[in-house]
Amino acid sequence: MRFSLAKTVALALAVWLSRANAGSPETPVRFVEVGESAGLTAPHHTRTFHGPHSEVLEMFTSGGAAVAVGDFDRDGDDDLFLTDSEAGLPNHLYRNDGKMHFTDVAAEAGVAAGNTDSAIVSDALWFDYDNDGWEDLVLARFGTPVLYKNLGDGRFRDVTKQSGLNTFANSIAVIAFDYDEDGRLDLLFGNYFQPVDLTDLTTTRVLPNDLDNATNGGGLSLWRNEGGGKFRDQTKATGLDGYSGWVLDVAAGDLDNDGDLDIYAAADYGTDRMYFNDRGRGFRDVTEHAIGRDTRKGMNAELGDYDNDGWLDIYVTNITDEYMRECNMLWHNVGDGTFLDVSRETQTCDTRWGWSAKFADFDNDGWLDLFATNGMRSGDDGNYVLAIVPVITRRGVDFADLQTWPKIGTMSWSGYQRSKLFWNREGTVFEEIGKRAGVDNDRDGRGVAVADFDNDGRLDFIQTNVGQRPFLYRGVAENGANWLQLRLVAKHGPPSAIGARVRVQTGRLVQARTVDAGNGYAAQSTRQLHFGLGEAAKADRVTVTWPSRKQEEFSVRINRLTTIEEGSGEPVRTGTE
Amino acid sequence: MRSLNRKLALSMLAVAACGLAQAGDSAAALAPLEVRLKSAPDDLRLGAEYRQAVIKAEAYDQAIELFETLVEQNPEASNAYLNLGFAYVDKVPAVGSITQVILAERALEAFTKSVELKPVWLNLYTRGNSYLFWPVVFGRAPLGVKDLERAMEMQRAEPQLKPYQVRTFISLGDGYWKSNQHEAAVKVWREGLERYPNNPKLVERLALIEDDAGMDRYLGDELDPNKRVDTSLKELWEGE
Repeated sequence: MRFSLAKTVALALAVWLSRANAGSPETPVRFVEVGESAGLTAPHHTRTFHGPHSEVLEMFTSGGAAVAVGDFDRDGDDDLFLTDSEAGLPNHLYRNDGKMHFTDVAAEAGVAAGNTDSAIVSDALWFDYDNDGWEDLVLARFGTPVLYKNLGDGRFRDVTKQSGLNTFANSIAVIAFDYDEDGRLDLLFGNYFQPVDLTDLTTTRVLPNDLDNATNGGGLSLWRNEGGGKFRDQTKATGLDGYSGWVLDVAAGDLDNDGDLDIYAAADYGTDRMYFNDRGRGFRDVTEHAIGRDTRKGMNAELGDYDNDGWLDIYVTNITDEYMRECNMLWHNVGDGTFLDVSRETQTCDTRWGWSAKFADFDNDGWLDLFATNGMRSGDDGNYVLAIVPVITRRGVDFADLQTWPKIGTMSWSGYQRSKLFWNREGTVFEEIGKRAGVDNDRDGRGVAVADFDNDGRLDFIQTNVGQRPFLYRGVAENGANWLQLRLVAKHGPPSAIGARVRVQTGRLVQARTVDAGNGYAAQSTRQLHFGLGEAAKADRVTVTWPSRKQEEFSVRINRLTTIEEGSGEPVRTGTE
Repeated sequence: MRSLNRKLALSMLAVAACGLAQAGDSAAALAPLEVRLKSAPDDLRLGAEYRQAVIKAEAYDQAIELFETLVEQNPEASNAYLNLGFAYVDKVPAVGSITQVILAERALEAFTKSVELKPVWLNLYTRGNSYLFWPVVFGRAPLGVKDLERAMEMQRAEPQLKPYQVRTFISLGDGYWKSNQHEAAVKVWREGLERYPNNPKLVERLALIEDDAGMDRYLGDELDPNKRVDTSLKELWEGE
């Protein structure tokens, strides 16, 4: 990884300036937690296991509190799908009335099911697999996936059987993007455990074989959308089969600005992976050259251009606790196929036991801020770490064996940690303002999804909490900043325009945002693109690069949501963008 | 005569090792040093020089394996145990967070053996300081204080303090601070500064005594397992 001297100097200066300004009372953004009053009252439940190793299994599977944001009924406001993980308990489809009130319609819509005795729901994703303009729904499970087709009348039909998505995996993350540019959305799953049935174990050796360099995880699965509602496993054919990491999250985006969508996989217990898309023919593992090998506990992969330089950067949360001082990774995209970790320099290194983190311009100043949730397990005063260390330091210990691990009982394990909000100071340094902004809750957070649920131009977000109800944070700051939002409809390829890139220029500032694939741990944010404009009274130039690679310019009014369709703008001649 | 020849041969090996190291071939420099160490397992300085070559070559496991063999074959060699502990410590910044914990525990075991065999200043200081790298939650700082207080007693009994013994003032203060005995920490740091005027580490600490959070951050940074600890022991032989 090459260092950019100018960048390093700029970062150092920014850190110095930030410290010089420390204690500034300015709070650019503020939120109020409205989950209960908004109707999001159902708590998440983790899976209860049975047998002698149930407690250990429950510890290692304590995720599953996922959220997916999407406008399933096409009424113009974003709805929510929230998962449960307990056998027999329903998932929740919350219809948004546009006024920050949600009603659970999962049962009548036919999407409540998914948690069975032998399958555990772990993630969810809205995506339009049949290009009919209605958001369908896929559930990732420790088990086989579930695919629900949106019938367009508020109901869904389970079409898993005919889809071919029939391979068992312990999937914990799923995203959708058109990797081969054939006009259909494909599915990439991140798998945590190897494909063993955790509800009916035939061996107790199912845990990571090394806690820093594990090689016995579930890796990745890529399912190509063949059309006609069929998917085919293309993991091997695309070169993604050689990886056996404990994947917790996957993200897709154009990391090398060549027009196709690349992959980042965040892995627990060892090395994350980066793959560059070889024009749809397959993926090339560029990890060694791009980011090097790491031994950290990768929990989240989020993409965003935090410094507005036109290149997608990557934020990975790890564990930075008093006994595991790993630091997160903010991979600054150098633009030459390499990435430089600037998390220390930007002061985004420490989010404790990290989980989901999302970029979003919460204060509408044109720079992406970052909200990160955290915390493993909040129990009593007992500290599980004190029980673990004598075990893991024992000579000859077999980490992979469930029998090795002590019971946790009611003890805490990196619990009661406070979520963090990092305020972006013009792309060079972030200031942590979680408490001032009213979002420093100490729940055991998992997923974070961002959307403007009340359509007021101030971004809101939801934080799922494992074993607890979700928190919905409504943006309430009145700072007078302007904004614009875009809903993109592609005409060539998937209508949801995943992978489309929009550049908005205001004066000298150019922001780039991408319609993302559902990136970030256990949480899919809105597909609407949000641009803060600060004091700018207009957007000077709005340019869309569609997945078809066509470029168009649009005239867009500020302080409103605008739907733009491919083909309705002014074509941009090559070389003018 | 045989002994002289042996010494001559070992000297030639040492010269060869030095030359190889100078040529930048740090991995190749290890073998001759290993030959010497096998003949003199309790040679602290030789072991320290070997470990520095190991760090350059990033051959940490090779060093650990060698010292483990040496202590097995020479169970009374306290310096071999000390070098074994340092070999684990040398590897810590190069590994993941969990492996760091495992290596730190192994290092403590080796340092403890060295103390049991020979409870001298160096062994007590080393183990005491090693305890301080553990997070407060493990309650090991008071154990570190105990060792460091013994080391302090020993150095006070000596006619003259040696330059490197400022370390005891620094670490004992750190141990007190981490054990929530802030007054004792300040006292020992101040005494250290009287005896070692302008010592930057003591000046930095004393500048933070009114800022608990700042001190915690500072000590967290000083005792960060991701940072390489200087285990060369070169101060012991400076001026010789």
